[in-house]
Amino acid sequence: MNETKWSRRKLLGTAASGLALAAATSFPMPAIAQGKKLTYWGGLIFSDDANKLLVDTINAWGAANGVATEVVMINQNETTQKVSAAVASNTMPDALDVGLDLLMLLSRQGVFSTIDDLYTKVGDAQGGWFEGPAKATDTSAVAGGRTGLPFGVNGNLLLRRKDLLEPAGFAEPPATWDELVAQATAVNKPPVFGLGLALSNVGDANLQISVLQSYGGRIADDAGKVCTIKSEATRTWLTWLKSAWDKGLFPPGNTTWDGAGDNQAYLSGQAAFIANTGSVGIAARKDDPELFAASLFSPLPAGPMGRISPITPQSRAITKASGNQDEARALLEYLANPDFMNAYFSVAIYGPVLKAQESVAAFNGDNAILAGLLGLAKAGTAPGAPDVYNAAFADFSANFVVPKMAQRVVVDGWDFDRAMDEAQATGDAIYAKYA
Amino acid sequence: MTAALRLRLFAYMLVAPVVLLILGLVAYPFLFAIWVSFTDQVIGSVGRFIGFDNFIYLSKSATFGAAIWNTITIVLVSDVLKLGIGLGLALLVHQALPGRGLFRSVLMLPWAMPAFVAFLTWRVLYQPLGGGINLILNQTGLYSGTIDWLGQRQTAMSSVIIASVWRGFPFWFVSILAALQTVPRELYEAATVDGANRWQRFWSVTVPGIRQVVIVTTLLSSIWTANAFEHVWLLTQGGPSDATMVFPVLAYYGMQTQRIGEAAAVSVYMLPVLGILVILATSLMMRREEQ
Repeated sequence: MNETKWSRRKLLGTAASGLALAAATSFPMPAIAQGKKLTYWGGLIFSDDANKLLVDTINAWGAANGVATEVVMINQNETTQKVSAAVASNTMPDALDVGLDLLMLLSRQGVFSTIDDLYTKVGDAQGGWFEGPAKATDTSAVAGGRTGLPFGVNGNLLLRRKDLLEPAGFAEPPATWDELVAQATAVNKPPVFGLGLALSNVGDANLQISVLQSYGGRIADDAGKVCTIKSEATRTWLTWLKSAWDKGLFPPGNTTWDGAGDNQAYLSGQAAFIANTGSVGIAARKDDPELFAASLFSPLPAGPMGRISPITPQSRAITKASGNQDEARALLEYLANPDFMNAYFSVAIYGPVLKAQESVAAFNGDNAILAGLLGLAKAGTAPGAPDVYNAAFADFSANFVVPKMAQRVVVDGWDFDRAMDEAQATGDAIYAKYA
Repeated sequence: MTAALRLRLFAYMLVAPVVLLILGLVAYPFLFAIWVSFTDQVIGSVGRFIGFDNFIYLSKSATFGAAIWNTITIVLVSDVLKLGIGLGLALLVHQALPGRGLFRSVLMLPWAMPAFVAFLTWRVLYQPLGGGINLILNQTGLYSGTIDWLGQRQTAMSSVIIASVWRGFPFWFVSILAALQTVPRELYEAATVDGANRWQRFWSVTVPGIRQVVIVTTLLSSIWTANAFEHVWLLTQGGPSDATMVFPVLAYYGMQTQRIGEAAAVSVYMLPVLGILVILATSLMMRREEQ
């Protein structure tokens, strides 16, 4: 059975590469300067097939169009450091994959070229852009135009073990965070724990910002200027969290998990629920088909204030200092073509950004992860919402203030007021820097 | 131009490439980091001078206070443990024991192992579920529960220190062993003739003979431990709840927020103490060379 699935995937990857090569030759570029090298930094994701496809496609496009290409795949956890060094030393690539934080920051610094015409052209050709990624990546206010061409969105889906939950009487996914705790409690039998959610100093733990917001808590005021983390709504969230902690629903070690902690907990059968971008699903499909078959995906639960399920758009951008502007624009336009993107979506963990992509084969519903990501692309909330996603919010998130507040309560045993006071003081200092 | 002046100029020309290399590779980045710490530089910008704002901001942070305390704790406790283990093993291996060559090689393995591999291995050993240490405790009946070694404040710091000591003690061991081999055997024989017992020979002959090496090793180890990033990052990322937060990890978090000025300020905060340690270590090593 494994053999069959592996072969199918390999077949898909090979076919996609062939398709990319064939399609590349049919996308001739206008007025290319010969003899230059175009450097592209791609973002590594948890799918070797997707990473290889991107590299092969760019190189095939270069070969077909007489452009020497060099594709460097960058661990996305290290993008900030590498870009930082590259900007300082004027060694930025011609084009690169970039997350929302860096897109906004570097656009504000004037590092990227504006590509409004390309953005419009691609959008018009494929039924327009989904509202979420379109709004989130709009850099017009800070850069005088759009600098990013979105190519995918990711975000958290709730992954659950139906083989544990259905016998316990839970056929439907939890609609609320309270229901999640109820279901997790019912199947919590160590060494299988109900909630495989990170509470450590890693990005995964910032899921708790969304939970807090769904309980009505806010990081800052409506203007995004003043931190307002200490509130009754935050207290309600802390009550929910502490209650779940006291029930022993979290696997031990989750307060120091690294970025792969929840993945490992789920894949090793220690967690009944996790929130994940889909990388666990891909790993399970490859290495543990039985677990994959026993897994279901659903949107994040809602709180009293509704469902907060932020999307994280990924974009491609062109460096303003690049001497290969035309080539880079042609490459970005080529990479947005439906044939390549369908092949890429099939092996990656991104939801669509263009309305026409909804009808490509990758999102026909056969793949539960991609179906979930399609739903996220259409109905996910804007990054940071209901808070304003600005530099202060990004700084606040990167300092893991909310996960640390949770750690104060569950690790150090602080009372809620003391934990909120510390978070408020930290938030005040962060937001004051950007006032 | 006199011959003496020509000779002097020629000498300067000979050392000029090395001086330029040092200025370019050491002095410039060092001074640039200090300058950046006084700016509000973020990625992609030059930044503007903001005086001590970064330092003031950091000093008000609870995490910064934890980083100071934790860095001091890790350095002091690690050094004491490494000294004890390194000295004990060096004294043992210095004896004419069968198979001591193999024993020496085995003791160097933790030092030879890449830090990344070593600390990830320790992370696996510390896993609360299925980790090697809990498994041993459970199997031997010493403890039947599950200890979250890295995830609770009571055990996180000691767990990090144990892993750090395991990786670092071979440097102490080999340094002290080398020093022991330089102590003249005649001194021991003379002390024995004078009626000194084992402890008196150790205290009056061995300790003075290895003292300077131990001091230099302590200083070097303190500098390396204070600057070490991977042991904390790979084991706990500074958590839980800042229980193991140290300066290098704090600086890394500063980079994550893309505020290079703040990240540089964290490193610059360490400079005075590390500078003193470096000067002490260098002067002691130079004095030893002169002797």
